[in-house]
Amino acid sequence: MTSSSLSLRAEGLSLSNGSRFYYSKYSKKAIFVIYFVNQMEKEIKKSPSVVTGKEHPLSMLANRAYDIFSSLGFEIAVGPELESEWYNFDVLNVSKDHPARDMQDTFFIKNQKEKVLRTHTTNVSARAIEKAGKEGRIPCAFISIGKVFRNEATDSTHETQFFQIDGIMIGEDISIADLKGVLTYFYKKMLGDEVEMEFRPSFFPFVEPGLEVWLKFRDRWLEVMGAGMLHPSVLKNVGLDPKKVRGFAFGGGLDRIAMVKWNISDVRLFYQGDLRLNQF
Amino acid sequence: MKISYNWLRWYIPEIPKAEKLRDIFTYHLCEVENIEKKEDDTVFDINILPNRAHDLLSHLGIARELASFLNIEFKDPTPMYKVPEISSRLDLGGSEGSISSRLQIKIKTDKCRRYIGRIVRNVKIEPSPDWVQKHLESIGQRSINNIVDATNLVMYDSGQPCHAFDLDKLANEILIIRQAKEGENLTTLDGKEVKLFSTDMVITDEKNILAIAGVKGGKFAEIDESTKNILIEVANFDPISVRKTSKRTGILTDSSKRFENDLSPEVAFYAMREISGLLVEYGECKFEEIIDIYPNKQKSRELSFSADKISKILGMVLSETEIENILKRYNFEYKKSSHDKGDAGGLFEIVVPPTRFDLEIEEDMAEEIGRILGYDKVKPKIPKINFKPKINNTYAKICWVRNKLLSEGYSEVMTYSFCDKGEVEVLASASDKNFLRTGLSDGLKESLKLNQLNAPLLQMKDIKIFEIGTVFLKDKEEIHIAYGDKKEIKEIELKKFVSEKLSPEEHGYFSAEKFLVLAPSRSQVSSEETFHSQIFKMWSMYPFITRDIAVWVPENISSGEVEKIIKDNVGELVIRGPELFDQFKKGNQISYAFKLVFQSYERTLTDDEVNEIMTKIGHKISENSSWQIR
Repeated sequence: MTSSSLSLRAEGLSLSNGSRFYYSKYSKKAIFVIYFVNQMEKEIKKSPSVVTGKEHPLSMLANRAYDIFSSLGFEIAVGPELESEWYNFDVLNVSKDHPARDMQDTFFIKNQKEKVLRTHTTNVSARAIEKAGKEGRIPCAFISIGKVFRNEATDSTHETQFFQIDGIMIGEDISIADLKGVLTYFYKKMLGDEVEMEFRPSFFPFVEPGLEVWLKFRDRWLEVMGAGMLHPSVLKNVGLDPKKVRGFAFGGGLDRIAMVKWNISDVRLFYQGDLRLNQF
Repeated sequence: MKISYNWLRWYIPEIPKAEKLRDIFTYHLCEVENIEKKEDDTVFDINILPNRAHDLLSHLGIARELASFLNIEFKDPTPMYKVPEISSRLDLGGSEGSISSRLQIKIKTDKCRRYIGRIVRNVKIEPSPDWVQKHLESIGQRSINNIVDATNLVMYDSGQPCHAFDLDKLANEILIIRQAKEGENLTTLDGKEVKLFSTDMVITDEKNILAIAGVKGGKFAEIDESTKNILIEVANFDPISVRKTSKRTGILTDSSKRFENDLSPEVAFYAMREISGLLVEYGECKFEEIIDIYPNKQKSRELSFSADKISKILGMVLSETEIENILKRYNFEYKKSSHDKGDAGGLFEIVVPPTRFDLEIEEDMAEEIGRILGYDKVKPKIPKINFKPKINNTYAKICWVRNKLLSEGYSEVMTYSFCDKGEVEVLASASDKNFLRTGLSDGLKESLKLNQLNAPLLQMKDIKIFEIGTVFLKDKEEIHIAYGDKKEIKEIELKKFVSEKLSPEEHGYFSAEKFLVLAPSRSQVSSEETFHSQIFKMWSMYPFITRDIAVWVPENISSGEVEKIIKDNVGELVIRGPELFDQFKKGNQISYAFKLVFQSYERTLTDDEVNEIMTKIGHKISENSSWQIR
């Protein structure tokens, strides 16, 4: 049994009735988020002779990211990988002739007009707020982590498939201050308290103002996300009224966080099916 | 885009040091890709954002921006451009008359928004003046001759592309801007043959095609050493049209790049003044009148915004004074109409400068003010909103499956969504794997093969793996689970897997609405400290060699004692082991068998050198007379 699963058992025993309580000190009210850790525990106790398998590092990281955002009230969302051009581009204020469509090399589909492999998981965010609006569930916040695709030559930092974290928050009085707060909280939980953050001007068609998120980790500044306040056209496109609500959105690579955090030098290692990657 | 520090200094004499400029660009404008120190200049390579490409792909634009940002003097060059005297027809050897140019410009396409032409006679083709050469070379442009250099200089200075034709090569003094006809061709300045389509806009005379509008000049009317008279073009073309032609022909030029980003037709006038002024300085040229065809003049636009809204978007309180200060520095014409209270809710109405296509709505002003102030001024906060999140059923199921398989000893892998056969085909993929997978089993099979070969390196008895991923069928996508070992691979759809494997006692798992349920992975249970101190170790790319060693020892000897001797003598090339994998007793003796794996990070190991290590270990073991290698 590996050391990590040993520590898992030790911690599991210390839990009251197998559940875990997370307390977010930033919330107005204490939010208790209860996790079903006991599920895992039971499995292990049932069959002590079985050595647990090793999880893929990107799954570990995705779950941690979900965990962090959930503690801030975000709801998890999933959506299609093969997406309509509408949800991948048009709804996000990227018009057909916009040069921004060139910025992301898209995989189009043979004999399926208007379909693409999603270039970001912002499609999921757009679908989620559209649905929430229809159901009258505003304010709302969604987080989605999923596979995205780019039609480009691969090297150690570029891959045709990778994972993206995408988040969105809608409410009456959301601002850049909230965006900064949420992302700073997230990256400090993800990479440690010593992380420094910077928000620099940028441009993405679906946000205005647009920002780039940079962080300093182990003495290096890295660009980690694109973000900003949702463009009023996007709100209109999903059936929300920009006069009544505002929102922020952000998106960035999960693989990149993994590479930085664990010092993994080649993004392609994640998709080789090589168990030497599963070291934790 | 490359920007020369010295060039900027012409317009802003009080320009701060290069290091400070870098910070201004980074935190208030755009990313700095590179800074190159030259002999007596510093060249910035900056990534102008698409929404500012209308006005900032130019030294003048950047200088104006910096002057406003820093509130320092901007020396506007426009009033200093020399204005040519217009030669009369008589001067040019024609008959006397009031017409000062016979140039006719006929715009026959709505994709040309403005065309200013000017005939300049008596030019002398020679090398450019030193300062022109220096300016161009500083930003990596090759000097060609004084006329071509002048057109380039004006483009990098004002942002407006210009072109010069050899007038004497034209059929007459009539210029036509129209859509190309199917089947027409053009040879570009650099000798490339281009087939034209009706979607391409061209500049022609009455007989020949002279240029692909906004993209590239043609060979036909090229300026050469013997050129005497020229026609200068300063025009404005539709961005989408230029972009399409540039993309289709694969001809991407500094000119097409600027037109694609939508230039204001207003800039053309200033650029014509600039290039004319430059040619006056060259001397001896004779100028005809400017012919300016501008069918639909760009309309003036107003934009109103409130200080209150800007404050709310940015999440910081801004006073009217702060906003006014910025509007003044940036020379915005504005009107202010305060609310009755005269508080921070004041309304502003600005006249949008013609080049600022990026300013359309209130949010654009929030960005303008936000980035000028710097986003570091906004204090981060966590929104205090009582969200009511629901459980995501798909995600909960994925987590449950993952945890279940992990607990049964399966390890997780991820493989590619692309493969060489399937039901959904992607277009123009860079690789030969043009299809999306219809199942996970093939990828998993490959992964099993790889991991079985590496089994001695992995701390696993049997290789058992799984993948959770999306597969693509003709008209739907599904999430599948594939799991298996050397015996077999099973693949099943997510929901089916859950309904088949869920035990009765686990039934409430996905419907526990009273909780914000998130099935955690094992990783979440690892402590904060463990998580932050994990380090990945890259494996060696060289092959490994395995060796087993078994030793008979008296039964009172522990395996640890034998292991220690092996360890002490195995050297640094061992990456796994000694690992006890077998032991049994016979009489008063016991046999211990250990596994060793050797691998180098630098080279391929040979059998000989590993044998040598094993021999050494053997000798050490034999030093104990009662020990014996099997």
